[in-house]
Amino acid sequence: MFGEYKLNVKIEEEDLKLLVEGRGKRKRYYRKVGEEEVEKFIHADKGKLVVCPVEPVNLPKEGVSEYLLVELDKPLIIEPKTESSVYLKFPIEIGVFLVDEIDVERIDIFTKTMPKYILYGPPESGIICKWWNSSVYNEIPEVDKLYEGILRLDVKNAYEEWVEIKKVVLRAIDMKIFYDGYAYMHASLKILKKSLGETTFFDRLPRGMKRAIDIYLAKGIKRLEKKFVMEWGFK
Amino acid sequence: MNDIFETIKSILDYKIYNGVNVADLLRFTAIIIVTVIIAKVAKINARRILKEKVPKTTLNAVEKVVYYGIIFIGFMAALPYIGFSLSGLLVAGGIAGIVIGFASQTVVSNFISGLFLLIEKPIKIGDGVSIGDVGGVVKDIRILSTTIRTWDGIYVRIPNEKVFTSNIKNFVAHAARRFEYKIGIRYKDDAEKAIEVIKKLLEEHPFILKEPAPQIFVEELGDSSVNLAVRIWAPSTVWFSVKTEMLWKIKVALEKEGIQIPFPQRVIWMAGKTEG
Repeated sequence: MFGEYKLNVKIEEEDLKLLVEGRGKRKRYYRKVGEEEVEKFIHADKGKLVVCPVEPVNLPKEGVSEYLLVELDKPLIIEPKTESSVYLKFPIEIGVFLVDEIDVERIDIFTKTMPKYILYGPPESGIICKWWNSSVYNEIPEVDKLYEGILRLDVKNAYEEWVEIKKVVLRAIDMKIFYDGYAYMHASLKILKKSLGETTFFDRLPRGMKRAIDIYLAKGIKRLEKKFVMEWGFK
Repeated sequence: MNDIFETIKSILDYKIYNGVNVADLLRFTAIIIVTVIIAKVAKINARRILKEKVPKTTLNAVEKVVYYGIIFIGFMAALPYIGFSLSGLLVAGGIAGIVIGFASQTVVSNFISGLFLLIEKPIKIGDGVSIGDVGGVVKDIRILSTTIRTWDGIYVRIPNEKVFTSNIKNFVAHAARRFEYKIGIRYKDDAEKAIEVIKKLLEEHPFILKEPAPQIFVEELGDSSVNLAVRIWAPSTVWFSVKTEMLWKIKVALEKEGIQIPFPQRVIWMAGKTEG
């Protein structure tokens, strides 16, 4: 499903149907997921179609949030001054892009997940986050690749007390998404105090995977800070 | 050739008033033009340097301060060429200051209020606000006034002094906000079931926040109905669309479960006829 395609393509997988068809320059883009349909006309000769996972904060409406909050269904308790890695799942949003040598144009984003938002922090100073619930896995879990991706989270407790983690907040602008058969991210959570931590992402390309198109880079938005500070705790 | 120079010299030396000749006037004009050019270049550079580093409203203020500051300095430097000496101005300034002070106190007041608004930042460009009796989206915060596009699309200019002294409601200053419905059901309906129906409906809506969670409870035993309160938190940027969407959906969902919203009703007891 994820990958690069020529401009005439037909993909059918589960309840997803995606196609670009037509003769010469005049083509038609059609996508259907569940009951939602999108149809567009493309006038193009060159270029290719890229279908890949994108930062999961765009749907149902862009601009509402730029953060993803993954809530753990069971808390993770970590002892002082230790490091550990766990795997979580995150929701998938799939982007469809037209790409040539110079430019990247996003033509569609869709998801099979049911979006939900949550407030992290108090109403007067908190932030709106896209919400997702995940179990905690010690090994790479099986995922429905069109529905969820895998997030490896390296947790480092730099504090001198035990800390219980119930949620992790990740900033979309920092995300580095990779894909092969499934979507993958590698993030870290460094616990600085009982209710203070910072999340970052690793940019190293995992073996055998491809780098997803970064919507924020495509928009020309610069990355000034690379860490998100979780100042309202982990519970 | 000499005749031409002589003619030009005589034109330049031509006295217009109080020892000010054409050459002085040209110098004055040249200084003003150069000043405006320098001010524009400085403004553009200030924007380029600060664009990524400061908020838009602060950037606008800095631009204006730089631009008008340079214009003011240039104007003061050029004034002696048209017969206004700065020392004379300082002497005359005492009286003129009082006169101008009285005349421009509103302008100064607006200016100072504008500065305080930029420092305090109760509103930003693009915010949905209510200032006094005007509600709408802030389009610009200038040195003397703030412009609002009202909810029905009308341009309103409010002097900054009024903005500063009015009660300001900023609808998007906080990330989330709460709104409330009052829903009456019949006395014979099961209120707990109604609460479950509404709760399930709210859980399915993406913009109704998971936390703070919605609150649904029996608020009042009214004259004609059992009144439920439904309190919902939503992101401030989309709360109004959620509010307009959900009330009808709640009504439909309740009716689907056989729970109805009653009309106002009154039980009238008819006394029996008295036997005489």
